Amino acid sequence: MYIYDKFDHAITSERVAEFSQQVTRRLAGELSEDQFRPLRLMNGLYLQLHAYMLRVAIPYGTLSTKQLRKLADIAKKYDRDYGHFTTRQNLQYNWIKLEQVPEILAELGSVEMHANQTSGNCIRNVTADQFAGVAGDEVEDPRIISEVIRQWSTFHPEFSFLPRKFKFAVTGAAKDRAAIQFHDIGIHIVKNDAGEIGYAVYVGGGMGRTPVVAPLIKPFVARHELLSYLEACLRVYNMHGRRDNIYKARIKILVRDLGPVEYARQVEEMWPLTRASGVDVPAAEVARIQAFFAPPVYETIKEPVAAFEESKKRDKAFANWVKNNVHPHKVPGYGAVTISLKPIGGIPGDASSAQMHQIADLSDKYSLGEVRVTHVQNLVLPNVKQADLFAVWQRLGEIGFAESNIGLITDIIACPGLDYCSLANARSIAIAQRLSEHFADVDRQHDIGSLQIKISGCINACGHHHAGHIGILGVDRAGQELYQLTLGGAGDETASIGTLIGPGFTSDDVVGAIDKVVETYRGLRQNAGETFIEAYRRVGPAPFKEALYGRR
Amino acid sequence: MAVVDRAGPIADSWTRLADDQAPAAGATVIVSFARLKNEHNSLFSAAGKVGVEIAGDVKLEELEPFLPRLGLIVVRMNNMRDGRLFSIGRMLRENYKYAADMRAAGDLIPDQMLYLLRCGFTSFEVKDGFPIDSLRRSVAAYTHWYQRIANSATPVTELRHGAAHGGEP
Amino acid sequence: MHMSNAKVINKVLTANRLRNGETVYYTPAGEWVLYVSQARVATTQEEADELAKIGAAAYAANLVIDVAVIDVTPGAEKKPSHIRELIRATGPTVRADLNKPITPPKK
Ligand code: SF4
Repeated sequence: MYIYDKFDHAITSERVAEFSQQVTRRLAGELSEDQFRPLRLMNGLYLQLHAYMLRVAIPYGTLSTKQLRKLADIAKKYDRDYGHFTTRQNLQYNWIKLEQVPEILAELGSVEMHANQTSGNCIRNVTADQFAGVAGDEVEDPRIISEVIRQWSTFHPEFSFLPRKFKFAVTGAAKDRAAIQFHDIGIHIVKNDAGEIGYAVYVGGGMGRTPVVAPLIKPFVARHELLSYLEACLRVYNMHGRRDNIYKARIKILVRDLGPVEYARQVEEMWPLTRASGVDVPAAEVARIQAFFAPPVYETIKEPVAAFEESKKRDKAFANWVKNNVHPHKVPGYGAVTISLKPIGGIPGDASSAQMHQIADLSDKYSLGEVRVTHVQNLVLPNVKQADLFAVWQRLGEIGFAESNIGLITDIIACPGLDYCSLANARSIAIAQRLSEHFADVDRQHDIGSLQIKISGCINACGHHHAGHIGILGVDRAGQELYQLTLGGAGDETASIGTLIGPGFTSDDVVGAIDKVVETYRGLRQNAGETFIEAYRRVGPAPFKEALYGRR
Repeated sequence: MAVVDRAGPIADSWTRLADDQAPAAGATVIVSFARLKNEHNSLFSAAGKVGVEIAGDVKLEELEPFLPRLGLIVVRMNNMRDGRLFSIGRMLRENYKYAADMRAAGDLIPDQMLYLLRCGFTSFEVKDGFPIDSLRRSVAAYTHWYQRIANSATPVTELRHGAAHGGEP
Repeated sequence: MHMSNAKVINKVLTANRLRNGETVYYTPAGEWVLYVSQARVATTQEEADELAKIGAAAYAANLVIDVAVIDVTPGAEKKPSHIRELIRATGPTVRADLNKPITPPKK
């Protein structure tokens, strides 16, 4: 874990003091709402349907148990006793009072957390692979460079009033678990032929109204030059991105309009200028940050671990959970546990204060005191000994988070939708709940296999529906909630955008429609091993269209 | 309308010249960029000091030849959310080595001025009644910064590792 | 005057309180309260315009933000007509435990 030094602490507490001033000036009427809005947004504060919503950053998805307990305590003291983990590895509180926000930010600061730049037209929280540091297929722990980026982007004077929001994602692994090509800038840590670590930089991906898979703009940027390269990318955007139309203001539109080649050329032209300003961090600073992410001390354990193997044999439900929710660890005898925040019929990503405390306790006991947040709205215990997995699973059962559905059809992403969000057209959570109940049967879920359903309540696509194997988009048709289906999206290293399959379905019909899609897949797959997305890519949309709408 | 710097109101000796108005001999004038491009020879010889007002869509290469002789650049934005201002300021200072007064104009709030100062601006055109106390508080809000930028304080990286490690120029 | 030509409308003024974000409604007594059933109803366009003016003034006075004049059903209950406003008035449909009634609970 990164640990703040006196400078980080000073900057964080000065920020709290600054925002406290701004709130006072707003309440006194010195600042109008128009003037205040960008300031509050840059402190993570929105106005939603029912109240203010505060979005807390969980940089690159890593939490200490102390931080998780603080999040729980804030939920209890200042909100309604729960929080919502989002697709951008943030935590949202839904019932916040403006007057209390400075106090909440101070509480966050006391555990080295903040809500800086979790909204607004600035550089947002950097997301990363949730298995950072424990995945076997990793070139380098992505949190190192993510923390470098976090500091560089914090209160960046040049890039705090961009045309639109700006999101980074980083992965250090071959398998992309951070959906980097759906971000404004996606960074893939790579090794060149000389064995040096550097960064492949993808620019101009995104969801929203115009989904785009980001093109590769620069295959290799050396570590000591990354920040100046990023500044060049951002400056070209800040100077030339569109400000006349909010729907065309993201960098993806600039890159598309210029063409990736021309955009890359302009960045190259700008790069010597940003390099000359000395923004790149020295090796000593990277080394300092790297030291915080040194692997913890693991025990030497010989696999197979007899007790673990026996428990799996003895208990089929446990074996299922291991199969789905435990990811291989680079250290023998350990596993990385994904805690499903998707209990059947539950609200995806929600956890109560009590549950957060219980998970913190569990991590202290069994996972070296660390917790991760995934962009699929689940939590991870990254360092659990195989011998402890059975106990962890049993305890999770008591907490209500032992569903063995990671990557399966009930592991649904859903944005807050019309139940909370002031921009929504339709409800998302309610659909997720009904789908989850419809497909609750464990054996059926396993038979269906890997299948990601992602639901957004409006075209902003916070629920990543474009990247869902099955995507659901809520729209408003004459005051009625209507749901459009997209098929064939994927957010991993084979990133693709789902195709709209036809006219939308009413809330009553949408579950049945998804069931038809699933049954069509089961009928046409070549064997039990062919996943939904593989089958879809092989056969295309036609059979699904026919099943949904009949022959035309 | 008033002009302020980081400490508060300052005297403003500049007068704005309409495009059809001739400068008085030795006057301190702000002209449009179009006029500067067309009449720079006569302007620089007639007026005492010449400043120019530019907008967000400026091509800095076109401004470059005049920079050494300019006494003021006013960068105007019509919307406080138009962040091109910040990039223009930094480029003028860091890359074009422009050294004289640089003024931001538009519907700015005190809280943005700290960032503008860090991007190289030195003065601001504001409406009458601008909250000076808030300005003074806002520009003093932070003692440390992560980034090495234009004319701002020593970045945290350098404080952590000493000047020798303070990043390559 | 003949009412038959005028379009029948039922509108109330809503906003969120600046200080704490609460969803509130404007009453005949000129207060902002939590329950839509207590709201002042406009049944003519002039009355609706009047509500909009009151809302704009309250916004300018930094009392409330996100001001809107919305449709409600006729009758005592004054249920917001559009589902978005109904959810705003009563709370998330997926958390019955956090819902708020349309009329204030009896003491
Ligand atoms: S996708 Fe739309 S409805 Fe869902 S959270 Fe984002 S803005 Fe709100």
